[in-house]
This record gives sequence, C-alpha cells and structure tokens, in this order.
Amino acid sequence: MFKTKAVGQSVRQKGGAPRVTGEAKYYADVLLPGMLQTRILRSPYPAANIISIDTAEAEAMPGVKLVMTYKNFPKAFRNTLYYVGDLVAAVVATDATLAEEALELIKVEYEKKKFVLNIEDAIEKDSPQVFEGVDNCHEWEFHYYMSDRDPETKLFKTKTHGEYNGFGDIEKGFAEADVIVEQKGLKYAYCKSPAMEPRGCSAHYNGSKLNMYTHSQGLHDEKLCLAQALGINASILNYISPYTGSSFGGKNAFPLDRNIASHYLMIASLATLELHKPVHCSYSREEEMLCGWSRGSIGDVKVGFKKDGTLTTMDFFHWQECGAGGDKYPAKNAVLATGAVLYSRNVEHQRSKIHYVHTNRFCCNGWQGYGVPEGTYAVETTMDIAAEQMGIDPVEIRKMNCMRAGDVDSGWDPLTYKSAYISSSGIRDCLDAGAEHVDWKNKWQHPREKTGRIRSGLGVAIFAMAAGRPGPGNSSEAIVKIFPDGTASLVSAIADIGQGQHTVQTQIVADVLGLPYEKIGLVSHDTDSTPFATLVAGSCGTWIQGWATYGAAMDAKRQVLELAAAKLDVPAEELTLDENGIHAVGDKDKNISFSDAFGTRGHYGGIHEVIGYYVHNSPDGTGHKDGKKDEIYIPKEKGAQFVTLDVDTETGIISNVHAIMAQNVGKALNPKIVAGQMLGARHGLENATLGNDCIVDKRNGWLMTPNWIDYRHSTALDSDVTPLVIEKPGDPSHPLGATACGEGAACPTLASFSNALFNAIGVRILETPFTPERILTALGKIQDKRKKK
Amino acid sequence: MNDNPKRLIQLTVNGEIQTVPVESHWTLSKVLRNDCGHTGTKEACDEGACGACTVLIDGLAVPACMILAVEQEGKDIETIEGLSVDGKLHPIQEAWLEEYGSQCGFCSPGMIMTTKYLLSKNPNPTDDEIKEAIGGNLCICSNYEHIINAVRSAAQKMSKEQTHV
Repeated sequence: MFKTKAVGQSVRQKGGAPRVTGEAKYYADVLLPGMLQTRILRSPYPAANIISIDTAEAEAMPGVKLVMTYKNFPKAFRNTLYYVGDLVAAVVATDATLAEEALELIKVEYEKKKFVLNIEDAIEKDSPQVFEGVDNCHEWEFHYYMSDRDPETKLFKTKTHGEYNGFGDIEKGFAEADVIVEQKGLKYAYCKSPAMEPRGCSAHYNGSKLNMYTHSQGLHDEKLCLAQALGINASILNYISPYTGSSFGGKNAFPLDRNIASHYLMIASLATLELHKPVHCSYSREEEMLCGWSRGSIGDVKVGFKKDGTLTTMDFFHWQECGAGGDKYPAKNAVLATGAVLYSRNVEHQRSKIHYVHTNRFCCNGWQGYGVPEGTYAVETTMDIAAEQMGIDPVEIRKMNCMRAGDVDSGWDPLTYKSAYISSSGIRDCLDAGAEHVDWKNKWQHPREKTGRIRSGLGVAIFAMAAGRPGPGNSSEAIVKIFPDGTASLVSAIADIGQGQHTVQTQIVADVLGLPYEKIGLVSHDTDSTPFATLVAGSCGTWIQGWATYGAAMDAKRQVLELAAAKLDVPAEELTLDENGIHAVGDKDKNISFSDAFGTRGHYGGIHEVIGYYVHNSPDGTGHKDGKKDEIYIPKEKGAQFVTLDVDTETGIISNVHAIMAQNVGKALNPKIVAGQMLGARHGLENATLGNDCIVDKRNGWLMTPNWIDYRHSTALDSDVTPLVIEKPGDPSHPLGATACGEGAACPTLASFSNALFNAIGVRILETPFTPERILTALGKIQDKRKKK
Repeated sequence: MNDNPKRLIQLTVNGEIQTVPVESHWTLSKVLRNDCGHTGTKEACDEGACGACTVLIDGLAVPACMILAVEQEGKDIETIEGLSVDGKLHPIQEAWLEEYGSQCGFCSPGMIMTTKYLLSKNPNPTDDEIKEAIGGNLCICSNYEHIINAVRSAAQKMSKEQTHV
C-alpha cells in the first residue's frame, strides 16, 4: 500500500533553510510599524494583597499609552498576589526603556501575607494556605477504581470513582507476596520547564481583525481560549505562529486559567483592542524564569514480588508540586510508571494515590514528560532497590515484568477511557539493544566490588509515556491539495515546535501520493488558513495528526484518480499516481498527466486544485482490535535508558556522563528526527546533575537562580547521549506503524542516573539534584548541615 | 516622549554601511534586530549566557547582547544573514540541513556563527575542540550530537572547497 519513498528517509527539514539563514520569522522578529512596547510590574512578595495602587504619575509620562492594573483590566490582573513575579501592573509605551521607567512611577501599597515555599511544609495541615480557604494538598479529583475484568479480553468493564486509581486488592496482594520492597521519600526537585525562545507575542487589532503573532503548540485551541478569555468573537481573531523557538510543553498557552503563564497574550490583546495599535509583550529571561515551572514531586513506592521476581502488587503514593496554581494534570501521568501501564504485564493489584500541592512558588506548566519523569523516578529507583535486595540482574527484573504489546493499560487517563490494549511495546528489545551497547554483561559490577577514588557507575531504567489517546476530544484535521502541475500542499496547523512535525507530515503526503518530498508544500502558519489541528503535546502529532494527514492525502488521491479514470476509461481502482502523472497499475503506457486529467481551465474556471480533507476522530481506522468497538489500542512512547558515569568520591563531582537512549518507535518516519528527539534525554541529565532546583530565598520567596548562569542547562561539554532507534514493526494503531518519539527521552533519566550513581558509590541518594554536597554527605565525608541544626 | 539623546552611528554589517540613530545603552543585538533589519540574530538571555546572539566582529565570535552598539563603529560585523550569497547557502548551512542541526532553530544562527569562527581558526577540529568551541552556545532542544556532526561535516565541505580553489 505504501511506497515508502519519502517515509523512512532522513529528508531535509521542512522550513530548515530559513532556520539556518536567519530568514525564519519567530514572533519577536515580526516588527510591526509603530509597535508599542510593554513592561510588567511584578510582585515583590510571595503572598500579598494590593491595598492601593496609584498609576497617575506613570500615566502622565510622555510616551506612555496605557497603564493596566486590576482596576481597569480585571480580566488580566488581580489584586491578590500568589508568588514573587505575579502580575501587578503593565505599562504600554512607545518604547521599552520608557515603559520600564514608567513602572517605577507606579505606587503600590501591599498587605503582606504568610506564605509557604516548599512541598513538605505545604502538605502540613497548619501550613499557610496559598489560596485562601483551600488546603494546599489536593487529592486527584479523577481517581477511578477499575473492576469487572473480562476474563477473555482482560479489559476492565467498570470504572468507579474512588479514593485511588487502580485495580485488584492491594492488601491481599501484599499478604500473598514473597518479597516486599518499599522506598519512601523519593524527591524530584521542582524544575523549570526550559525553552530557548522566551514567552511573548505581538498583537495588532486593525479595526476589523486581531492578528496575534506568537509561539504555539496548538494554534486553534489557543485561539479559541484567548477569544473566550477576552470576550471577543473568535471570528475576528487570527492566530499566527510560523515558527516556535522550542516549547517542550511548558510554553503551552491557556489564557482561560489565570495561573498558567500565558499572561502576555491577554495583556497585549487587551492593550491593542483599546489602542488599535500593534502591541508587543515579551518576557526577559529573568521574567521567563519566574514562570512555567514544573516537575517537583515526592513519591512513596511499595512493591510485592513472587520469589522468582514476578511483580504482582504495586502501591504508589505521589505528591506533585504545582506552585501557585497552574497545570495540575501532570500529577496523574505519574501513574504511567506503575502497574497501570509500565508494569502491567504481571501486576494483579495496583493502587495509585495522586496528590497535587500548591506552594507560593512559581506556577506550573506541564512540560516534557508531563509527570511521567517524576513517577518513573520513584518507581524505577525502587525497582533497582528491589533487584539489589533480591539479587536479580536489574535488566532481567525489568524484562520479566515490563509491559508487552497487547497488555492492558488500565486507564492512566480514566477521563477519556477505561482500559485499552497497549498497541506495542518493544521495551525488552530496547533493554537488549542498550545492554549490548554498554556491554552490560561484562561491565556491570556490584558496587561492593568497586574500589579507588574514582568509581564508575552503570544504571538502567525503563519508561512508558503517553503518545496520544483515543477518545472524545482527541482529533485532528488536514487538507491536502493537488495542483495540475503535479505538486501538492498539506494544509495543517500542526505546530512544529522543533520536533519535526512539518517534515514528517509532508513526508506522509509524499508517500501516499507517490510524489517527491520536495514537491510537497505546506500551509501552516495561521488559523485563518488552516483547519483545526491537535495540540502537539504528549508527542501525539505523528499519531493523531498523522492519521488526518494520511486520510486527507488519500481523499485527494482518490479524487485525482477518478478524474483520470474518466479520461483514460480505466476504473479508478486500477490507477495510481507518481511524479509523471496518473497511470494504470502494471501498464505505464495507459497514462495521463496531472494537467490533462484536471482538464481545461483558465481565468474564469476549471479545476485549479483538487482538495482532499479528513477529520481523524481518535480512535478510527485500525484503532480497534479486530474492528471491535469496545476494544481499542492505545499507543505509547516506550523504551529503556542506560547511564554510565564516574564519581569522584573525594569531591562528589560527577563526570563522563553518558546516556544511551533506546526507544522503539515502530517505524521511524524520519530516522534523524527520531534520533534528535532522543537527545532530549539531556533535560533529565541536567535535572540530575547541574543543580537544577527551585532555590528561593526562604525569607522572601525570591528566586535565587533567575538566569541561565545560576540555573544551568546542559552544554555540549556536559554529557553525551547516544540514541538507539529501534523499529519493531507491527503497531496497529497508526497507518504507517509509527507511534511517537519526543517526550519519552525525559522520562527515565533521573531514575537511570540515580541507579548509575548507586551502582558507583553503593549509597542511595533519594533527593535530586545529585549535587556534590549530597554525594559527599551520603558517603559520610561531610555532615548534613540541616541535621546539625 | 523618550528624551534620551540618540546618536547617529555607522555600522558595517555584512559589508554594507548602515547609518542608525542609537541610544548609548543599546546593545548591538538590539540595534541589529530593531534598526538594521537583521532579526536572524536571536536574543534569548540578554546576559551572554546562551550564545543565541553570536555574531562575528572583525572575525571574532561575540555575543551581541553583551556589547554596546555605539562602540562598534568602524568594525566589520558579520551576522547570519551575511553567510549565504545570492540565495546559495554557505557550506556550514548546508551541513546544518544535512545533519539536522536545527530542531526549533532558535539557537542555529548563533551556533552557526560560532562554527564559522571555529573553522576560520581551526579548519579541522577534533570532537573535543568542537565541543569546547560551542560550549558557550546553548541548544535547549539538546541537539548537540547532530550539531557536532554538522560542524564536522562543514569542516570537510570547506576543506574540499579550499582544495578546488
């Protein structure tokens, strides 16, 4: 069915040339004539009320066009402040320096309130409440217990709202277990979701249309949310986002939630609607560092095994920090690391109790991995402890128990489905490939066998990450146009935030139409010219949008074949397309050019383009097992990661960090893009090693690391990553057998790093980042300062 | 209105002299972007920590956010826009496309300018030398292995071009 001429090839990036010549226009590169500049006054207190605010002097300053506060723009500003950096006011002026100077003329009287700055304190009952009248620690509202398992299909038929997610009988499971392993207090530090391009936008209301230039992961959804938040007709808003300077989920805008860091959209929109002039509002790096945090969790894990290492029971308690509000949903994704998904093979009894916790730190936007890295850190570290206690090889214990194709995902997201079949796994192949790469059999040594100052460590962890989900509200659309000159265009708003969606989607079109990749154009830059495309999150683009693109290309192809069929007098089903036109299958002499097939055309009429369209409502196509309505396939990102490192036991300094990322993608539509996504494992490595932690001044809640010098990201010098692209064919849930690759790289890294560190020094450190101080403390070479007090 | 005094200066950007009014505290990156039309020079940190704004000044790779525009008169400034000539890509840019050196592309202009500087001083760098040279340029997509491949490939392309001359 597929020619795979374009698919499977590392063709050049669609939109690659403008990226390397400087011609690519990111939102901040669009310099509109007469554009006004915005600066924001931010809260100096982690919890306060604004008693009074006087903007008269700022407003009187020449060049100042608008001063915005909760008084005149209550849709964008509040008089209650929840974190240092929260919005107090904004000045819109003819230039940025002026706007900044005017900020200093705004007089604000604050009423300071009590605050809480870490997750442990926030969980305590008597802790200051971040949101008045509401406890900081929330149990997940959508805990569902699965029951009534069909003996034949193994699927759960009933979900009941309850106190935890899970199935079976947890007490019975532990009572019957031969070995129980428990680890409490595995703490993943609150980390910043990074992106190269700072948040921001330029908005211009020209009297009839509000054009919004910004970065985006999902143009259409952001547009509708923004229109709703502004209270304007969606029909006047055009959302324009040709390029996004990386996002990783953290820059996803959601203006309907005032705690999500997409305030620039509201500020610039309200200002331009008022002033009818272009308004630019972008964040400095320091402002960027005050928003869009994520990660940050505490996990307790208890696992029951049979003597032979079969994992039968898992109990998982998870507390996720989400700062002063924002995205609470990453918490639930931690469940993917449990017996609900990753260890679904043998688990009979599973309990996952999820909490999300507010503090007066910076708001949360879920990012790469979206809760899975935190869950995986807790579970996969505990699995390593279990392997150690039971004397089982860490690779083997995972191969015995990890999910396989056809195992049952018991609803990590019970809002959209109850349970479903895992469409493919290949984790055991990834473990084999990685083990071979690092020569695990010969290189892995128990820590007690290690001596000397510098000790090498080797660790492993596996993961499963959501990769799109079936169910209502999960859909995408595409248009494919074929032109009489034998070229075609994909019209799709699918966002390319760096992960290659524009390239991969046009490869799919090329493949279906049998045309060279270079002949496929792309229309994607705004909402006015495109149909809806799914939010690119959970790395679902290839999966959800891939179906839509494929369907639209098939629809366009069908129509062209029908046009040719009439002219050639050959049934359409006996025709096919290629670069030269349309011809009979097996008889190239019966052919017609695109131009002739389209027929006569001119200024006043004729067929100028054939338009194919498809809406992919997930699941469709082969998304059901044997076509049965209630038996659906759900794809995953999945794989294994190995980490090797050296630890200096005298200084606590870690060096020679190398991650080997093995991931089964089913079919790599573009191998270089896939490999590039796996390099994202470095985000985990920097969370583990470079001191990535939300360090605030305990006295006043100020961020102590508001820049890229104190909050360090990986450079080329810090670590190496080797991607191992595994293509195990047979995933039924995608037309090309592909699943997803993107966020997965972030998921196993903290665990594999933790396991490698233990393997090097023989002591388990439960709290990230693994700083020299923590390593030396664990080794007993220095005393824990906090304990001395 | 803003009454900060502006001064007319002449900047030589990609071989062309441009006369622009600037305030004394404006950085070169700001002036290149806002006043010279060279938005290929990206601003990501504004404190010299990421290299996104790297340009060549008299052949030397410099973060343009850390220097003042008023001090650049008479110097030869080269930006990413100066690399391709008449639509023909520079070998470094070709190598970037072949090796998938850009993911989101926001670091690419700075990374490519740093590479141009490296290869001008060291036409055949080792992997360690490449890593050290680009050690001041962040790629948050973490695409370093592909970038290193691109630098290596660019070095080969440029040395071939040299031989053919």
